Amino acid sequence: MKVTRRQFLKVTGATAASFAVVELGFDMSATASGVKGLRTKGIKPVPTICPFCGAGCGLVVYARENAPADGPQILSIQGDPDNPINRGGACSKGSALMNLREIYNPDTGEQEINPKRITKPRYRAPGSDKWEEKDWDWMLSTIAKRIKDTRDNYFEHKDSNGIIVNRCEKLASMGGAALDNEELHLISKMNRALGMTYIEHQARI
Amino acid sequence: MANLTNLYDVSKCTACRGCQVACKDWNQLPAVIEPFRGNYQTHEDTNADTYTIIKFIEHEDDPAEDVTWNFIKYQCMHCLDPACMKVCPQGAISQTNWGAVIKDYDKCIGCQYCTYACPFEIPKYRKRDDIVTKCTLCYDRVEEGLTPACARTCPTGALQFGDRDELLERAQDRVKFLRANGFPNATIYGKLELGGLNKLYVLTDTPDKFDLPVNPKVPGQITFWQNWVQPYFGWLIPLALAGSAVSFVTTRILAGKHGEHAEGGHE
Amino acid sequence: MTNHWIDLKNTDCALIMGSNAAENHPISFKWLTEARDKRGAKIINVDPRFTRTSARSDIYAPLRSGTDIAFMGGMFKYILENKLYHEEYVKYYTNATFLVKDSFDFEDGLFSGYDPNKRSYDTNKWAFETTEDGQYVKDMTMEHPRCVLQLLKKHYERYDIDTVCKITGTPKNKYLQVIKTYAATGDPAKTGTILYAMGTTQHTVGTENVRSFAMLQLLLGNIGRAGGGVNALRGESNVQGSTDWALLFHILPGYLATPEAQKHPTLAAYNQKETPKTGYWVNKPKFLASMLKSYWIKDDPEKSYYYLPKRIDGKNYSHIAMFEAMYNKEIEGLIIWGSNPIVGGPNANKEQAALANLKWMVAVDLWQTETSEFWSYKALDRATDKDEYKIKKPKDIQTEVFFLPACNSYEKAGSVSNSGRWMQYRWQACNPVGESRADLEIAHELTLKIKELYQGSSKPQDEPITHLYWDYGHGAHPDLDKIAQEINGFEVINGKPGAQVANFTKLKDDGTTACGNWIYSGCYPAVTGKPEDYLARRRDNRDVPYEGTKPIGSYLNWSWCWPINRRIIYNRCSATPEGKPWVEDLASIFWNGEKWVGNDIPDFGATKAPSDPGGTDAFIMRPEGVGCIYSKCNEGPFPEHYEPWESPVANILNSQSFNPVVVEWEPDKRGTPDKYPIIGTTYRVSEHWQSGVMTRMQPWLAELMPDVFVEMSEELAKEKGIRNGDNVIIMSTRGDIKAVACVTKRFKPHNVHGKHVHQIGVLWHFGFNGYATGDPANRLTPHIGDGNTMIPEYKAWLCDVRRA
Repeated sequence: MKVTRRQFLKVTGATAASFAVVELGFDMSATASGVKGLRTKGIKPVPTICPFCGAGCGLVVYARENAPADGPQILSIQGDPDNPINRGGACSKGSALMNLREIYNPDTGEQEINPKRITKPRYRAPGSDKWEEKDWDWMLSTIAKRIKDTRDNYFEHKDSNGIIVNRCEKLASMGGAALDNEELHLISKMNRALGMTYIEHQARI
Repeated sequence: MANLTNLYDVSKCTACRGCQVACKDWNQLPAVIEPFRGNYQTHEDTNADTYTIIKFIEHEDDPAEDVTWNFIKYQCMHCLDPACMKVCPQGAISQTNWGAVIKDYDKCIGCQYCTYACPFEIPKYRKRDDIVTKCTLCYDRVEEGLTPACARTCPTGALQFGDRDELLERAQDRVKFLRANGFPNATIYGKLELGGLNKLYVLTDTPDKFDLPVNPKVPGQITFWQNWVQPYFGWLIPLALAGSAVSFVTTRILAGKHGEHAEGGHE
Repeated sequence: MTNHWIDLKNTDCALIMGSNAAENHPISFKWLTEARDKRGAKIINVDPRFTRTSARSDIYAPLRSGTDIAFMGGMFKYILENKLYHEEYVKYYTNATFLVKDSFDFEDGLFSGYDPNKRSYDTNKWAFETTEDGQYVKDMTMEHPRCVLQLLKKHYERYDIDTVCKITGTPKNKYLQVIKTYAATGDPAKTGTILYAMGTTQHTVGTENVRSFAMLQLLLGNIGRAGGGVNALRGESNVQGSTDWALLFHILPGYLATPEAQKHPTLAAYNQKETPKTGYWVNKPKFLASMLKSYWIKDDPEKSYYYLPKRIDGKNYSHIAMFEAMYNKEIEGLIIWGSNPIVGGPNANKEQAALANLKWMVAVDLWQTETSEFWSYKALDRATDKDEYKIKKPKDIQTEVFFLPACNSYEKAGSVSNSGRWMQYRWQACNPVGESRADLEIAHELTLKIKELYQGSSKPQDEPITHLYWDYGHGAHPDLDKIAQEINGFEVINGKPGAQVANFTKLKDDGTTACGNWIYSGCYPAVTGKPEDYLARRRDNRDVPYEGTKPIGSYLNWSWCWPINRRIIYNRCSATPEGKPWVEDLASIFWNGEKWVGNDIPDFGATKAPSDPGGTDAFIMRPEGVGCIYSKCNEGPFPEHYEPWESPVANILNSQSFNPVVVEWEPDKRGTPDKYPIIGTTYRVSEHWQSGVMTRMQPWLAELMPDVFVEMSEELAKEKGIRNGDNVIIMSTRGDIKAVACVTKRFKPHNVHGKHVHQIGVLWHFGFNGYATGDPANRLTPHIGDGNTMIPEYKAWLCDVRRA
């Protein structure tokens, strides 16, 4: 089962999905100055959790529907008023979440994809001073081969005492504190199947 | 319609600057990256792409006591009697019936007269589209029943939004509490200044400790023009100001830049 | 966190020590502000420098970095002498009443059983007194000279206020104010919470620092209760999850020790050595067998146990050790998942040089991290030319580097676990940028490619891969729900998944259940086809109180929390030994005559009455059933003050200069105060995150903190002729960096042993890529770690500073 934005809309907590559309508690319809309309009107916000500290504040993403896949899509990202942890609040980092994908160009003011995002796999050959772009299949196949070579060359099935140890101390894995739980499960499983003993992440530093 | 406003309580602000970024997110403003000068407050003042800033101010009255580190949010004060609106030759600035001083950027010609009129020096000229910008109190959000982006994002509740009279009462209670709990100089700012601001502050000390003008005034020359000349003889302004410090304003108006807008040269 | 974020609103006093909560966890102040407004709570901040947290605290007390144990020791002494502890709690819920064998001793900074050659202890010397049938001997009056409470009193006899303040540099009046204010939470009607973070852990005595917090909370009766707890404010959105999933050398998912070759050659040996006889961990074999089944579903656990890598007994594989090994060319290939060690790792120059010894490296990230470009010209540039690890040109680095672009957190779907252990779901909100992919897809596809390469192999050493159970649907997009179902666990019938298990109480040790991570068992208890089958997706934000009580902020139907949706762990302590809430308004769980009920999931046998045997054994994960005032850390049963590895002063409490059990990786790199007289520390600011690789790439954050700066006192700046905003060079034995001076009244020299000691602080978020760039502060920090966890001592080291 794949959970998409559409499926999220089916999630109905008791008060959920209301997103506190009216925050003020009184009707403002008579006051409209009419100069500028609400940018996010009619857009269903999609809930997310802030990727920064361990507080787990909820945020909501307002994304243009039907926008071209390779262009800017974000209208605004704000604190999730339904999340009991932060009740709509967000610090500077949480409020800046749009920048993880898109920015406003300081010269033109135009919205664009953050030019720092890397959009294609890259390869640096030994001794080179630059990156080359490669396709995913080549990258993953080549990496898989490197892993296999290292594992096969240095794998210890049994140690000097004849104990089955199934380890490869020439392979190492680092990181994971910014990943999702489901991703961690797969990586933990993969690392251990490969025989890794050098497995570390940010909790240690 | 009662006035709707922000109440900002400095005693609850942790200077996380969520408001500063949420303002950029909502108002679609690019970053203005300047060098670090030795203070957490990287922008010395608001700028055309930064409508609100948190100021960081250190004080040490008595070396035996802790240092005081004051944080204060600074932005357009939405004066109840806005000088900027009176001086705008194009009628681009208006006041909503709930107290937001807003600007129609299609009408703005970038003459910057409002920047000279403001007692808080808030409006700033933006070169890339030749307009003057400032905080709008997120009137587009408020008029759809939402709180302004800054108040909505404030994690601690230092920033609240609501009916000005109710918030004034809350502010008075809070000041009373603070005075009894270690802040004898606690005070409200924005109740009376300039006949009242549509931004209220609870301060833990006197306004000067927060870099706020103790008795803000509209520049004298401006007062005369805004009260007498502009309403009746608006067309005189450019002529009368020609050759003065703000003569550049006149050139803008005489050039009839607004006409270019009408021809579609500008979005 | 033993408790959770919202619960901070229930506290009467918050001690923020070793954390800059207002800056690094801003939402904490939402709830602390509420506690202050509604309960009149006090906020105390103890920190070497005056931060945004200090600005919003009721009491601020400075201390010299690295002297937390002295600070806490003085609190213990004061609390014990003035009988301010929560006596009933201490008596029933802690080991204060236990008698210790007379082989336990302490002299001049060393406990009995120390071996100076091994730099370790024989911890058997510290055992409890037991009867012939193995029962612990207790003295319920707590007056026996060898009972834990009396030993504690004796140990901290030396920590009088004057001595402590001489060490910590804290003004005496401030120190007393902190003690008295916090000790008031020893009143059974009050609770106090401790908030800590890396300011506590990043020391050679980091674990003992945390221990001292736990001890204080036990003495004051603050654990397991609403508004209390020992609360680690975790710094990354899922560092809780990545610890739970054990991307660490020493544990398997769910905090099971990783097997060592000699010690645990077989599953039977592992179970025999690792399973205690009492406490909830008696179930450990079920958890391990189920984990093995989730990895290798067709094999019996006895067999698949052999597939698990066994580490060399006693070998250290921690972060520092890994980089030392890499530096010594012992590692050939490294895969990095969203991490940036040449900015974030200690002695970053050496860690950068270590990467150059790899044959190949894979980096998965959104951006070009400094680590992924460690071979580039800009990576090789330095503030001064005094860097012994320096490699001059890219052509001298033979490492092959693969960079895989990952998508961001809202361009994909999945769950993360916050500090309070809440597993919250994020929905995909938009398309990934360019060809970037979710790490889930990358891990999935890479594993499939590897499995493909090994297909058909009949070598026994390849079985861990050829037998690996990997069934997450077809194509490049793995089925997230199938993964979550595997995490929760299911019955195994004929080598295939059957029905979901309800939670970990249903797991078996005979190979009939599979479960990826037992502590998360219960997050996906049934498959009915609804999105909320995955409880992490629940969004009911009503805080419905248990009948007749007031809500305490548990939000039991919002997302899900491990274990079994329990929001406050050890919550049996929230009730008196007889089962009544200590405070009516903050009833967590209580005994209703038949069972435990209330506003949380009981952390106790649901029908075990207070009067039943073990009915007050509140700490169910402990074999003794009680909280440990006396414990077996590597350094000893009670925390003792040792100076940091690099310190400007001598230890005046004992003749051990630094922690006697730490491993010294680079003794020749130990800076001395004659050359490096200033204490250096590193930290973060609200506007950046960790190694800065996310936030330096975000213009809205780069503009708020555009450059690396070093904070220093006006006194030090005057001595060195430095003005605010000047460029300065900071030097340690490891390297030099350039930074902008931030001269501030918020830094003051510490008055230590009657002399002025200067301290400076440097942001560590910076590197050469992004909208905001600067030198990594970790080029200055040492390769030395804590005596238990090996976390580097980033928070106290020696340096000097001059104008650039």
